[in-house]
Amino acid sequence: MNNFLIISITIITSILLTMVTFALGSFAPDWILLTMVYWILALPKNTHLYTSWFVGLLADVAYGSILGVNALTFTIVGYLIIRAYKFFRYLTIYQQTILIFLLLIVKETLNLWINMILNINDYSYGDHYWKTITSALVWPAIFYGLRSIRRKYNVI
Amino acid sequence: MDAYFKKTFKNFYTLLFLVVLSVITISLDFYHKKLNNIRSLITDIVIYPISYISTVPTNLLEVSLLESQVKEEMKLELEKLRKENVRLRIELQEYQAIKDENLRLRQIKKKVKKTDEKQLIVKVLNNNIHATKKMISIDKGKEDGLYIGQNVLGLKGLVGQIIEISALSSKVILISDLNHNIPSQITRTGEKVIVKGKNNNNELELIFVPTNTDIKIGDSISTSGMANRFKPNIPIGIVKDVINEKEKKFMKISIKPLENIGSASELILIWNTQKTKKKDNITKKTNE
Repeated sequence: MNNFLIISITIITSILLTMVTFALGSFAPDWILLTMVYWILALPKNTHLYTSWFVGLLADVAYGSILGVNALTFTIVGYLIIRAYKFFRYLTIYQQTILIFLLLIVKETLNLWINMILNINDYSYGDHYWKTITSALVWPAIFYGLRSIRRKYNVI
Repeated sequence: MDAYFKKTFKNFYTLLFLVVLSVITISLDFYHKKLNNIRSLITDIVIYPISYISTVPTNLLEVSLLESQVKEEMKLELEKLRKENVRLRIELQEYQAIKDENLRLRQIKKKVKKTDEKQLIVKVLNNNIHATKKMISIDKGKEDGLYIGQNVLGLKGLVGQIIEISALSSKVILISDLNHNIPSQITRTGEKVIVKGKNNNNELELIFVPTNTDIKIGDSISTSGMANRFKPNIPIGIVKDVINEKEKKFMKISIKPLENIGSASELILIWNTQKTKKKDNITKKTNE
């Protein structure tokens, strides 16, 4: 119960941050994905793939995209993290930042592919990738912040 | 080793299941538009409270600013508003006379067009709800009888239309969005044109205007009412710049919108009763 409460509070906070930073346009970091990546990294359980799918659905509603697009990409990112969490945990924070950057490029490319298949025009092709840089830059803050929360409330 | 493989396969099957589920939701939402209920449910339960919280700091700031205003200033403001009220009342009398005259003339032509009176003032919850599109959210929803395609006005002119409704809030797309086009007319000549957004809140443009069109800087543009989406004769903007190049087929015309699009805190919704009447007629016919 404690776990569920803490995780949902952090995810709601990330949605709040997303809404506040909509004004930044395409520079706004992907708060929801980063929060989800941290929790899957900390608790690599099979059931958390379902959680990531649901969080992706929430992100779809928050971003106003087609229902299921972000759910799909969030699940794929979650799966990659579950497969590689042991490797990921042994990296320093700078190496993690680079890896997060690559992961976000994969995610944004998938998003663009789906949009292209569905013929959705956003008229902002290059702009999508600014998000990856800003998200990678805020990753250390997310990582240390959520880790201190996890240790304080003993989420296992 | 066996256990390891079992675990990884379990993850893989979960992934496969979720991918298939996502593809199903995408196709249901995009091709059949079946998931609007789920979307509005999530909006009401999760997104609406969060966006409400996110506007609390700005609201508090506004309240404290209001309270800190000096009494003298308030008095001055009151006087100013009273004067304006008197002026508006006089104007309204003139307007009423013109309206009556217009109605009489129309009755002569046996074409009575009633202006609909129902309107609603709404509050803007959030001025920025999409990273790339120009959209805002307002604090009224299905319970107040809003419908998709409803016109949203400011005090001076057109602002946008409603594109998504949930129970407690709804989303408005602004006319400055890149994908938004309005069938409109040049008020002076009555020529039909199309107004397109440029992702810029201070500038719109006219597209597909042939080079021999009679248009000047300072002409006002209003909606034409074609396609029954927007009510006719809602002012949109004033022609700011006309570029006419000989080799091209169309002119480049930019418009300055009358309304401060996207920065208003209160907006007006109007009900297009003509449209609903038409719908009623159609349903009656089909019922018969």
